[in-house]
Amino acid sequence: MENAGFVIAAYGVILGGTALYAAVLLRRLSAACKALLHTRRGAEGTARRDEDT
Amino acid sequence: MKTRILGLAAVVALAAASVNALFMVPADLNQGDAQRIMYVHVPSAWLGYLSFGVTALGGLAYLWKHDLRLDALAHAAAEIGVMFTAFAIWGGMMWGQPVWGVMWQWEDPRLTTTALLLALYVGYLLFRRLTDDPRRRASRAAVVGLVAAVDIPIVHFSVEWWRGLHQGPTIGSPERVLDPAAPMQFVIALLTMLAAFTLAWAWLMVRRYQLARIELETEERARLGRISAARRAAPATPAPRAEEGVG
Repeated sequence: MENAGFVIAAYGVILGGTALYAAVLLRRLSAACKALLHTRRGAEGTARRDEDT
Repeated sequence: MKTRILGLAAVVALAAASVNALFMVPADLNQGDAQRIMYVHVPSAWLGYLSFGVTALGGLAYLWKHDLRLDALAHAAAEIGVMFTAFAIWGGMMWGQPVWGVMWQWEDPRLTTTALLLALYVGYLLFRRLTDDPRRRASRAAVVGLVAAVDIPIVHFSVEWWRGLHQGPTIGSPERVLDPAAPMQFVIALLTMLAAFTLAWAWLMVRRYQLARIELETEERARLGRISAARRAAPATPAPRAEEGVG
């Protein structure tokens, strides 16, 4: 294959970059779900304290 | 479940289209194997346009409806658009070096306006970080997204409006859809890759939109929590003053 280095660099960065972004996106999504759950629990705890007082 | 099926379909389609583009389609007579880069460069550029179009429409719809979900959609599309535009530039540079003899030329209108498009939407993402108020942020970002979208048709038609190093559209113009400038085998490989990339884009958009919605809810709950805490703390301070006034 002629210019194999350029072809590999193009496909590697574009397809590899898309795969990497997808993987990072899934990790961010998982972390955001945990953070939301934590915030919800915190809000429920605050609401219970408010009811008690 | 549907998103998982979409993701799986995108992976299979991308793998099949890449094998076809790299090993099954013959090399171009003039450009050689470097022409294979077009199969990933063109879809990346198309998805950049599509994403920024969604950002502009999402922003416009937000200004009309004031629904933060539309701002989340615009935000998701902008991030993905920045990635695909950067990939389009990279693919173009990798193709330009063996075919043109240069990776980049600032005098070329297509290259320069594409670089400007990337800079505008990177600016859009940075601009969103300037304020914590979701509604103010959404309104300002919608305006920035709409102004930046003016560059999309300029990028697309730059090859027709001005002379430069970048060639004209192969199948982009309506009269060339049925009579493309490239052999049909090349066009089918390009369209297959375009479909595979669009599937991947759809999956990324769904996931990025979900993330934007979750971040928005977390932000809103944290804000309400702060207000609630401030309200609980508030009655304790003015009480002594009231007693002093009565006494």
